[in-house]
Amino acid sequence: MSMLLEVNNLHVSYGAIKALQGFSLYLEEREIVSVIGANGAGKSTFMNAVMGMVKRDQGAVFLKGEKLPGKNFMVVQNGLSLVPEGRKVFAPLTVLENLKIGAFSRAGHGDVNKDMEWVFSLFPRLKERIHQHAGTLSGGEQQMLAIGRALMARPQVLLLDEPSLGLAPIIIRDIFAELRRINEEGVSILLVEQNARQALLLSHRTYVLQTGHLLKEGLSKDLLSDPEIKAAYLGTREKR
Amino acid sequence: MENSVQFSTLFQQIINGLSLGSVYALIAVGYSLVYSILSFSNFAHGGFLVVGGYICYGLLSGVDVYGFFEIPSSGIWLASLGALGGAGIVAVLTERLAYKPIRERTSMTLYLLIASMGVSIVIENIFVILVGGRFRALPQDIFPSALFNLGWNVTVSSSDILSLVVAVFFLGGLQFFLSRTRWGLAIRAAACDLHTAGLMGVNVSLLISIVFFVAGLLATVGGIFLSVRYTLYPQLGGITTKAFVAAVIGGLGSLPGAVVGSLILGLAEMLTAGFISSQMRDLVVFSMLVIMLLVKPAGFFGRQISDKI
Repeated sequence: MSMLLEVNNLHVSYGAIKALQGFSLYLEEREIVSVIGANGAGKSTFMNAVMGMVKRDQGAVFLKGEKLPGKNFMVVQNGLSLVPEGRKVFAPLTVLENLKIGAFSRAGHGDVNKDMEWVFSLFPRLKERIHQHAGTLSGGEQQMLAIGRALMARPQVLLLDEPSLGLAPIIIRDIFAELRRINEEGVSILLVEQNARQALLLSHRTYVLQTGHLLKEGLSKDLLSDPEIKAAYLGTREKR
Repeated sequence: MENSVQFSTLFQQIINGLSLGSVYALIAVGYSLVYSILSFSNFAHGGFLVVGGYICYGLLSGVDVYGFFEIPSSGIWLASLGALGGAGIVAVLTERLAYKPIRERTSMTLYLLIASMGVSIVIENIFVILVGGRFRALPQDIFPSALFNLGWNVTVSSSDILSLVVAVFFLGGLQFFLSRTRWGLAIRAAACDLHTAGLMGVNVSLLISIVFFVAGLLATVGGIFLSVRYTLYPQLGGITTKAFVAAVIGGLGSLPGAVVGSLILGLAEMLTAGFISSQMRDLVVFSMLVIMLLVKPAGFFGRQISDKI
């Protein structure tokens, strides 16, 4: 394994409010890393700062040792692809058009059609609905489309912001099973989740974020049995 | 006899209305295009048209600007080409200098609206200072002026036909660009969600510049036809109010809506002029706006805002 993504000492503030105060993280190749935390812990801010969508006060992001530029579209061109919170599929465009726009950053590099077949093999439901407007899809299908769209960029790191948001538990299980499969096919994944249990079950390592600070980090399977994490994030207590 | 006069007037005014409506459409789609991406009504749009009109006029008459440089007079096609490009560039510069700094500081589109009103005043007055407020007629012989008699007292001027053909050509070109090209797809995605389009690796600043260039270019095509129809003067941009009304009636942000709204407006104006009185044209136009806003505020093709969570 070798170091793929490195985030160093990230500081972000909105006016006087400090949303992130020196958060660092790394991701190795073919790894799944998750960041969990409660509402307002700074999870989405962290994602947006990595993607260059909010201004960083301090800190830098490195991909394979190279510093990533600050501009959003350049970050994408360099190989980071985000599945945004709330899916944000382009509702008036068809499924096919949504996938095509996902490949925009590649400017014709590589075989786009082959990758589209790959996305369809991961999510056969999308192929059935290829000419449907994305807005007519169910929530779960929209999440599949958002993931497929991000994969069309052939990213080195796939980033997901709250993929479980607003989905039924059974759909969440499906989506997370697909994420594991995508990872097994060689895609490194950085995941931000409020659904701590699913994130811990899926990922190899986890960082726990609390009000802009790192609270804990470690192997996900260790954190699953950590009493503090259990009480605060998993809603279970040690049996007495 | 009475009936046949009525009938020929109807026909005549429908043709005039379509011709006028097609010119409105060229201007209205620019309004809608910018609105769909940045969610504000760009009131400097009329200014772009005036810039294009004066560039065209200047190139045609071989202006001698204070003796600094002289442009030889050249054909209408070359002059139009220069005007389209020039106005497109002015539109891009307007966005970069006046709107971009605001966009980067706030997400309130009201400030953009106010800035656009300011820009429109600035452009108008630059021309008052530089070339004066006089009405200027483009040379009459630039467009073929033959009249065709279609029978029943209905005549069509070749400039009417030309404006229709040119409008269809440019609107068709826009449609092709939006539906068949990579950047066209990016623009449609950005119209849905600008922020997320950036996440697809689209250079959003460049995309906005492209949109403004296209809007300025299309406005100028309309502007040249308007200058031929009504002469050219610094306040000519005020006529875009009509195109704006057309865009609102069709549904701001929707391109088919802008075209349909423009044709409806052009027809309504000309039919009013033919059957009631030429002075009632504006009254009818603005009454239509008020009624539309009362009955269907989103316009015919307006976006129904709904978010699926």
